[in-house]
Amino acid sequence: MPVTVELLHIPGCVRCTGSREALREAAQAVAGDELIWRDLDVIEHMDYAVTLGVLTLPAVAINGHLVFSSLPTPDQLRRALSDPPKHGP
Amino acid sequence: MPRPQSSSPYTIGKLAALTQISADTLRYYEREHLLQPRGKSASGYRLYDEEAARRVQFIRHAQECGFTLAEIRELLTLRGRDSACCDDVRRVAIERKLQLESKIRSMKTMSTALDRLIAACSRDGVPVEACPILIGLEQAQPRR
Repeated sequence: MPVTVELLHIPGCVRCTGSREALREAAQAVAGDELIWRDLDVIEHMDYAVTLGVLTLPAVAINGHLVFSSLPTPDQLRRALSDPPKHGP
Repeated sequence: MPRPQSSSPYTIGKLAALTQISADTLRYYEREHLLQPRGKSASGYRLYDEEAARRVQFIRHAQECGFTLAEIRELLTLRGRDSACCDDVRRVAIERKLQLESKIRSMKTMSTALDRLIAACSRDGVPVEACPILIGLEQAQPRR
């Protein structure tokens, strides 16, 4: 079953850019080929961010559910993906 | 904002007149650590400078944009920090926008719920125990 990980961020955010690859690798390690990774510019996806309940940035959603209201560590993301919310909001 | 004619310190009354913010509000800003007097006069009155006047305008504009006092404190800190950059300020502004949009959405939901209740009311002068709005509120199921 596909696992969608969405990183909602502000373009140019140094923290997001610095951690993105490590997070993506952590997600890939758990979900393998089932991983769908999306980098979402929150300005372009404001409505979706509000639907998810994002109030602080960066944020990470898994399968359409807000799971992290700040940048997780790769280990935290790995653990969250081991028991992900059901697909779809 | 009117430009001060001199750089002599302002009392709280002068600062209030200059910024059109009440002295009580200025004291409140001080209690909230948003504004500090430059010092005190020999008689113990708070004294402010031009930077205080600019700071008060900044706070007022930020409040008009919906920023909370905590966020304004953060913005003021960023404003005075050499290592801060535009992106830091932008993040605070975008987060505030997210919070406002979220509130707007909740309020729209509430408004729609009220529309339903108002539409249910026939305005036939029914007794209060038969009021469809009160009955509707009583029977409403909690949202999941």
